[in-house]
Formats: sequence, structure tokens, C-alpha cells
Amino acid sequence: MMPTHHPTSAPLSAHDLELGYGHGNAGRGKSQHSVIEGLNISLPAGQVTAIVGPNGCGKSTLLAGLARLHAPRRGAVHLDGQDIQHIPAKELARRLALLPQETHAPEGLTVAELIRFGRQPHQGFLQQWSREDARVVESALAAANLTALADRTLDAMSGGQRQRAWIAMAIAQQTPLLLLDEPTSALDLGHQLEVFELVRSLAAAGKTVVIVVHDLDSACRFADHLVAMQAGRIIAEGRPKDVVTTALLRELYGIDCTLLSDPVTGSPILANMRRAATPNADNGMQASSQACVSGA
Amino acid sequence: MDTSSPASTTGLGDLSDSGSSADHRQQADVIRPPAGHWRLALPMAGNEAALLIDRRALVANLGLLLALLILGALSLCLGSVTLSPLASARALFGQGSAMDSFLIHELRLPRLAAGIATGGAFALSGCLMQTLARNRLATPGIIGIDNGATAFAVASVVGLGVSLAPPALALVGAATATALTFGLAGGIGTRGYRFIVAGIGVGAVFGALTQLMLARVDIDTANAAYPWTVGSLNARDPVSLKVLEVSLLIGLLLSRRIAQALNVLRFSDSVAAGLGIQVTRCRRWALMLSVSLTALAVSVAGPVGMVALIGPELARHLSSPRGVPLVGSALAGALVMVSADLAGRLMLAPLEIPVGIVTAVIGGPVLLWILLRPTRKVP
Amino acid sequence: MTRHPRGGSLAPGIINQTPADGAPRGERRRALTVTVMWLIAALALLCLTSLLIGAGEVGPLTSLATLVGHPIGAATGSDEARFVMTELRGPRTLVGLAVGASLGIAGALLQAVARNPLAEPGLLGVSAGSAFAIAVALVLGASAATLRVSVAQLGAVCGCAFVLGASRLNAVGQDPIRLVLTGAVLSGLLGALTSLLLLMDQRAADEIRFWLVGSLAGRRLADLQAILPSLALAATITLTIARPLSALALGERVAVGLGHHPRRVRLLAIAVVAMLVGAATAVAGPIAFVGLVVPFAARAIAGPDIRRTLWLALILGPMVVIAADIVARVVVAPSELSLGVITALIGAPVLIAVVRSRRLPTL
Repeated sequence: MMPTHHPTSAPLSAHDLELGYGHGNAGRGKSQHSVIEGLNISLPAGQVTAIVGPNGCGKSTLLAGLARLHAPRRGAVHLDGQDIQHIPAKELARRLALLPQETHAPEGLTVAELIRFGRQPHQGFLQQWSREDARVVESALAAANLTALADRTLDAMSGGQRQRAWIAMAIAQQTPLLLLDEPTSALDLGHQLEVFELVRSLAAAGKTVVIVVHDLDSACRFADHLVAMQAGRIIAEGRPKDVVTTALLRELYGIDCTLLSDPVTGSPILANMRRAATPNADNGMQASSQACVSGA
Repeated sequence: MDTSSPASTTGLGDLSDSGSSADHRQQADVIRPPAGHWRLALPMAGNEAALLIDRRALVANLGLLLALLILGALSLCLGSVTLSPLASARALFGQGSAMDSFLIHELRLPRLAAGIATGGAFALSGCLMQTLARNRLATPGIIGIDNGATAFAVASVVGLGVSLAPPALALVGAATATALTFGLAGGIGTRGYRFIVAGIGVGAVFGALTQLMLARVDIDTANAAYPWTVGSLNARDPVSLKVLEVSLLIGLLLSRRIAQALNVLRFSDSVAAGLGIQVTRCRRWALMLSVSLTALAVSVAGPVGMVALIGPELARHLSSPRGVPLVGSALAGALVMVSADLAGRLMLAPLEIPVGIVTAVIGGPVLLWILLRPTRKVP
Repeated sequence: MTRHPRGGSLAPGIINQTPADGAPRGERRRALTVTVMWLIAALALLCLTSLLIGAGEVGPLTSLATLVGHPIGAATGSDEARFVMTELRGPRTLVGLAVGASLGIAGALLQAVARNPLAEPGLLGVSAGSAFAIAVALVLGASAATLRVSVAQLGAVCGCAFVLGASRLNAVGQDPIRLVLTGAVLSGLLGALTSLLLLMDQRAADEIRFWLVGSLAGRRLADLQAILPSLALAATITLTIARPLSALALGERVAVGLGHHPRRVRLLAIAVVAMLVGAATAVAGPIAFVGLVVPFAARAIAGPDIRRTLWLALILGPMVVIAADIVARVVVAPSELSLGVITALIGAPVLIAVVRSRRLPTL
């Protein structure tokens, strides 16, 4: 069963956060340009928070900032009231697990071997394998429903299974807090459900989960708390039912639609989508830049 | 072997199910190591210390060591004068004839030592570089570090007013080339290919500079500097060799220290950081080690960069994918170097093929295979 | 100047030629004409310098006097000077013109076929293929100069075939940088094999040691005559495939839609590349980077249209080679440097510049 011995107090918050990419990063465009400015966020404990927004709005940057992959230019991120910049790397990895969007495993690695890496923050040079390690790896396998596939190599698995294995690695870190960056973006519908159900079961076990999602419908269905981002700022947050309005969708994506309510869960569903008559300037630009990319 | 778990996947995988209960009870007493490992428990004051030993890696390393011993023995026996194993053993322990003794102690043994040390250093350095760049093609030889070290070492040999020892200058050259490559490529890009081509460019410049220096000097000095351009164990310098041997030992120990971090660095920077690794620091260490080992190896044998590619490749195939095969790479590199040198000495005897050419001929196809092999991974 | 103003696979230069935007087009063309005039003048000046400067005792002033037929100051034309001019420097300059033009055009064509701004005969192993073929022929006992040309061309064909074949495997060709790596590896391998062959055959080694490093030193008119037929053939074919090639830049389907045969055009282009590189290598040895630098500069001057690139390569290629040759003669006088060293020093920075550009343009 899920390891539940961690308390779930209000864990992660950011204050007046400014994040950006330095000029040293060759892959990025405009140097010195801040992706996120003056952002405040506080994550509800024991719930699934979904961050949504159009491409390039800073979702992944925010997640990376929350996990200390980027040092903030201004402001701070606090973990249980402590500035994460002051927490030692290994200790942070025992309190907060991150699954980045881009994962890549060496060829021939098996599921169990991958998950074992999640124990590294708890191990030392002279404490390489304890009873606790063995137990946690087993339970992470079980939680992700991968016990039968433990000795399968990652490259021989489906996308959904592989993504579950990566999440299981994060679970094996035994952190009360998990940040997942678009864990479903490359998956088809069935595999997306696998992952979302795993996320729900984690929250049910008392963990706080933050997840960046592309698909608004799924975000509404599986998240307790929705954060909508636009151009590096949070423009709305709260329960999906309360947050998602036609006005918000127009502002976020430049679309008009009819909002229905899921007959079973009551979560909002988008129907009859079309581009808004007068998209705002930002979205217009984005649309054209996307056209460029797809033309390339 | 571990064939435990598939007992139950129903429910949320509660293990205390029918068949595995015996296993379970046993688990209470003995901590089961993960599949393919031995757990070495050492009772210590307070906390118990436990080491995990990867069985396959251990077997692979022992196998490589055995092969290296056999080849080493062969390379002591074979040559322009072939000694019987008995005669060379006697000479080795100071009981053979004066002639045999000279052959072994003055010629073949130092050459063997140079082969092992350079091969080990090149391959360990290659393995580190590949891991930190996350690209199997990113070996120091390919990204121009060998050429940088060579250019500076040649400068010291042909004496452009500088008489510093070749190892020191080789270090400077390697560091310069590295700084140039990394600076010009703007860091290691995704998948690292861009940075490799920038390295090829830097290497070409240093190669041209080496040629230029050799062209400026008279033929005798040029002949002295020639081994530098192809890579050969012929012109080894005893002092440089001593420096290299010591550094290789230190390098192996240091790289063991960061082995855990390197294992995770293979995934991606964010994954490694998420697991509590200080990515930048680990990278810096690995890079420093890699560059210095390459430079010192170049100062002994010249640019035999292909070993840095073949060695780790061989080690990876023999060893398990669970860890970065650091020791295995060093052993495999030594093995490749010694056998290439032996082949070069014997194939066209009495003519000697420089070891750099032999490894280039072997390494080319390996490289092509890496580049052109079908990639199974779906992005 | 590390970025090419190019969006996707559309080549703006071609769009600019539509009659719709007449005024800017005329202006651009005029500016281009002026640039080309300057380039031609510069080339002429370089040729003159190449005739006047050398490693030997015949100084520039004496040479000039010999050239104009009048004594200038104290310097008078001597028989020795006349010999140097007509038998050494003259042929050398002509060979430099031919080699430069061949390598420049071969580079432009190869880049168009591989759709890759880094594709370069030297980097992709085509020159190494030629050199290896010649080494094999020499070890097997061949020696005639004309034979050397065809053997080198055969080697170039094999090099081309290998690299472009490899580019079809596992989508290597879609990643310009991986293709270059494949070529670099092939070059390295062939280079090592060549050294191995030469180790085994001392006679062959003596014969081609100085040729192998790439140089124009001591080339005669006979060498030029040996390659002239293939150069003429290559020029003819290039003229016929220039238009289809520029259509190919818009994509395979567009080219078919315009009534071209992409496969045939590509094969012809590769044949031309092999002919040119083989010829240049047979005369001057393997010289890398010229085929990279020249099209790079040509595109920077005249935009991406392959037809303009080709014409400019005809001027820029000889400029690069002759300038490099002059430097090679002067830097370490009285001995000479190999041409390959100089072109590497010029070319490697260009290579890095191309790689550094944020988005590698596809051609």
C-alpha cells in the first residue's frame, strides 16, 4: 500500500517569484527575458493541483522554479516555510520529487532498476541498500501497478507504462510532494487515463501533487485545484468548476466555446469550440509563430 | 537470481498474498538485494554499512582484468625476438640472461606499462566525457581535446622558446581546446551533437597549428615530433609516464566518488537534480578529470583518441546498464591499447604500425556503427 | 553573420524574384552586380599577387618587371624570373583557379543535394575517398597522371555514395550534424587506412607524401590538362541541372509539380560533385573546408538561390584557394606550408559559425 507516514501540512509556496533563462542557454531565444514575473502561488496540501495555459506561458518554467531547477531572479520559493535555496540538494530530494517532461533512460535499464534510483537521496556511500529501500521499491512498484513488469526493460514498454515507471521512481523518493511536468503529453487517451488514475491514487494516499497538463478537459476532471497561467502570470485559480468560464477560455486560448457539465463527475467540459472572433494580440502572435514552426 | 515479485498484481499490489508468504517471512530476517546484486553488509558501530555490488559489472571487470593479464604476458613474450613464456618470466624476476633482461625491463615492460596507463586514461576520460555530455560520440578525441593537447605538446618539443615539460603544456592545450569547444558551442546542447561539431572545428584548427609548427622546423626535430601527430607508444617519456600512472590512480578513485551521481546524470539534468545531485558540480568534476587524464595520456602516447571511444563501448557491452562502467572502461581501454600496440608491432614486422593508426582503423567502423545503428527508442 | 534569413524550407531569395516586387528586386540586383564586379577585381588582384610572390629568390619587383617586359627601377626581368613565372607560378595559379572553382561548385552542389549547409566534400569524406583510391592505385603499381584523375573520381563516387547512402539510414540525413559526423568518421577511417597502405609501400609513400597534405606546389600545365575534360563535362551538366536544383530547394513535391525529376537531378549532381572533387584532389591533394566556406560566403552575399551560389562559387572558390596558396608560400618561407592547413584555419571558424547559428537552416 501507499507509504503514508508523511504528514501533509501546507507544503510549497512562492512569493513574488521572477524566473527567466540566462544568456548562456543556447537553446533559448531572447536572453535576459523573464518568463515569469511577480508570481505568487500556494499549493493546497494533499490535493492535485493542475497548471494549465497556452504554449509558452511559463508552466514548465514555474514547475522547474518550484523544484529549484532554476534559481529565481527575485522572490523565493518556500518549502514548509523554508527557502528552498537554503535546503541541501539531497535533503530537498527527500522532501520534493520532480518528474521532468523530458526523460531519457539508458538502454537496457529495467523498471525495478529505474525505480531504485529513486532511493538515492536516502542512501549514502556506506548505506547502499537497506530493508527500507527494498520495501519502498516494492511498494512503489505496486502503487504504479508495475509489479509484474518489474524486470521488463524500459524500451520494451508502452508509453503509458514507461511514464508510470518514471512516476514510480518519484514515488520511491517517498516525498510528501510530487511535481509532474506534462506526464501525459505524448500519450494516447488510454495511457493518459492510466497516469491520471495513478495521480489520483497518490493524492488519495495523502500526497500533494502538482501536475502540468496540456489538456484542459482532463485537468478539470482529475485536479482538485486549477491554476491557469497566461504570459507568465496566474490569471485564475481555484476549483475547476469555479475557475473555468467562457471568459477565461477566451483569455487563455482565444477560443469561444460552450461549457457543459460532466453528467457523472460534474466537471466542466468544453464543447462547440471555435476561435474567438477577435483574438487578443498575444494569441494572434502565438498563432502565427506556431504556423511558422509547423511550416519549418 | 531474483525471480520474486509477479506473485500478485491485483488490488494495489499487496504482497502478502498466497505464494510469496514464505519469501516474505524470510525477508524479515535477510535483506534481499535487488536483482543481479550482492549486498555486502559490514557490521559497524551504530549503523550497519551496506554496499551493493553489481554482479555483472564485477564479472565483466574480472574478465577484462584476466584478458589484460594474458595480453600483457603475450606482449612481453612476442616481438622482434620471441621469448618463451618461461624465459620472459625468469627475466621479469631478474633471473634471465642479460639480453632477455634488457629486452623485458628496458623495452617491453615500460612499453606495456605505457600501454596500460594510456589506454586506461583515455578510456576513463572518454567514459566520463560521454556521460557528462550524454552522447556516446562525445569523446575527447572527437571534440578536439586530443588535438589541443598535441598542438601544445608539439610546441614544447619543437621549442617555440618554451621548454616546459610536455605534460604540463599538454594540460594547458587540452584545457584551452575544451574551453574553446564549450565556449563556442554555448554549452552542451540537447543531445550534444552541435557541440561535437564545434569540437571537430576546434580540433581541425589545432591540427592545422600542429602541422604548421612541424613545417617550420628542420627535419630532425620534425621527426622527433612526428609520433605526436599519429599516436605511438614508441616515443614515451618516462617522466610523463610516471605522472600519468599516478594521475590515473587518483582519477579512478575520484571518479568512483562521483559514480553514483554520474549514474543519474545519464537520465537528464532535471532528473538528476530532482534526485538531489548537484549537477553542475558533478559535471565540473567529471570534465576536469576527463580533460586532465586525456592531456596526460596524450603527453605519453600522442593522440590515440579512438581508445576513448572503443574502451567504454566495450565495457558498456560487457557490463550492466545499471551503472556507468568507469573501472570497466579503464580496463577495456588498457586492453584495447595493449592489443592494438601488439598488433601494430607484429603485423608488418619489422615495420611498426603506430598504435594510433591501428586504433583508428578499428575505431572507425565502431563509430560508424554507433552513428548509423537503428535507434530503438521512440522519442 | 551566423544566421541565414530563411524561414522553413522556403527560400526567400526565390520568392523575391517574382515579378510582384519589382523595385526592391532591381535594386538588389544592381547591388549584387556591383559586389560581383568587386569580387572579380579582387580575384584578378589575387592572381597577380600569386604570380609576383613566391618562396624563391625572384622578388615581387623583378617578377613585375618580367611581366610587363620593362625594367622597373633596378629590377630587370631575367631568364630565371621568366622561367619561374611561366613554368612555376603561372601554372600554379591556373591550377589554383581550377581547383578553387571545382571545390567551390562541388560544395554548393553537395549542400543542395544533401540539403545541409554543413555538407562539404572534405568533411563528408569525398576527398578522403579520392585520396584513398589514389593510394590504393599507387600501391597496386599505377602512376600515370590521367589514370590518377579517373581513379580519384572513382574514389570520390564511392565516398559520396557511402555518405549519402548512410544519410538514408535511420534518418541520419535529417539531422545535418549527424551527417557531418558520419562524414568526419569516414574521413578519419579512410585517412588511417591510407596511412596504413603507405606504411606498407615505401615507394608509393614517397611518391604521394607531399601530395597527401594538399598543396599546389610544383603543379604543371600537364596536370591541368589532365583534368580539363572532366571539368568541361561537369560545367555542362551543372548548367543543365541548376534550374531543377533551385526548384528542389522548395521541396521534392514542388519540384515534381514543376515537371522536374528530382532523382535524376540528384544523381547528376552527385556525379558532378564526384567529377569535380576527384579532379581537384588528383591535382592538389585532399583539401578540406573550401567547399564549406565558399557556398557559405556566396549565400551570405547573394541569398539562398542555388544558381547565384554556383556563379559566385566560380569566383569565390578560386579566391579562397589562391589566397590560401599565397599565404602557404609566404608564412614559412623559404619552405612551404600545405594548403590544407590554411584552409582548415579559415574553414574551421566558418564551420563553428554555422553550427552556432541557432537554427540550422535546411537547404
